[in-house]
Amino acid sequence: MPITFACAASHAPGITAWADAAPAPQRERIQGAFERLRQELDASGTDTLVVLTSEHWANFFLDHIGAFCIGRAERYTGPIEPWLKIARTEIKGDPTLATELLEACYDNDIEPSFAHELEFDHGTMLPLHFLMPKMDRAIVPVFFNTLAAPQPSAQRALALGRIIGDVARRSSRRIGLIATGGLSHDPGERNHGVIDSDFDHRFMAAMAAGNCVALGAYQRAELAAAGAGAFELLSWIALAGALDGRKGEVIAYEAVKPWATGVGLMTFAHGLAA
Amino acid sequence: MACLRLRDGAANMPAMSLYALQKLIRDVNRKPACREAFFQSAESFAKAYDLAEPERDALIKRDVRTLYAMGVHGLLLRPFTLLHQMPEPDYLKAIRGE
Repeated sequence: MPITFACAASHAPGITAWADAAPAPQRERIQGAFERLRQELDASGTDTLVVLTSEHWANFFLDHIGAFCIGRAERYTGPIEPWLKIARTEIKGDPTLATELLEACYDNDIEPSFAHELEFDHGTMLPLHFLMPKMDRAIVPVFFNTLAAPQPSAQRALALGRIIGDVARRSSRRIGLIATGGLSHDPGERNHGVIDSDFDHRFMAAMAAGNCVALGAYQRAELAAAGAGAFELLSWIALAGALDGRKGEVIAYEAVKPWATGVGLMTFAHGLAA
Repeated sequence: MACLRLRDGAANMPAMSLYALQKLIRDVNRKPACREAFFQSAESFAKAYDLAEPERDALIKRDVRTLYAMGVHGLLLRPFTLLHQMPEPDYLKAIRGE
């Protein structure tokens, strides 16, 4: 089955937790872009979502860090943050698909870790809150280590994404893909509040062009220069790998100072299976 | 114990156990029972962690500037300071050494 839905979206917690801090035009453009993605997802007939995501010391700590982790749980809960203004809820997992993904990875020379218990923070819950408010589709989360150096390389993210895309296309399910995180931001660090819009536009242009060569060439130092949070874009790069060069469209980009983040949303729905 | 990572300006500090320091802060951030115990007595709570003396001092004094310079991850340190109601401008001044 072709991939039925694909998008990428930032997950800055301010989008819900302190929404009114942003200028209304920026906030409305971002909320409108999420709404467009929600409509595309609903129209796609997608039954299962693979969410390429990151977390913020919610589950993982330095006692055991893997580059990638695939969730095999029957269900997940989140968000862990009571202040996020998103109701804590339960989301169904898809351990069968998760196992298919793991086996495909292991057969193709990438060995993610896996977890039968995971909680979600804003990194996963915020995009789901907008895109799937009823929380009524099964999901498989794929976590990327974006916090502890060394993070996986862009090439490795691309390779992982290609495997995920192959599994999705072979599956009898109607699988959609969501990548979350980024763009430039430096949460909790010295450059908190600094947004590098030039970096953000260059990155999204490569995503829109489906330019896997350019995306795979991003070095850790380039991502780090756009802020510690820019490592979350490894999930976007994996999405590009999964889509194998499919072109996308930037439907919103705002450098939102009160949210301290370059916030971008992209769709890759055009031409996907209806 | 080997020093895992020191930020600028901390090169002369003695070798420390940054891992244990970050583990303590993460436990306080994420585990309600740890948080309660920490706020009852940081000194007692810290005894369960293998901290170097400068780490223990910085922690007890809530010396954010030093904790950051020692290498505590921003996404551990900022939530920890939020538990102490530290406003964002004050946090940023501290970690920027201003």
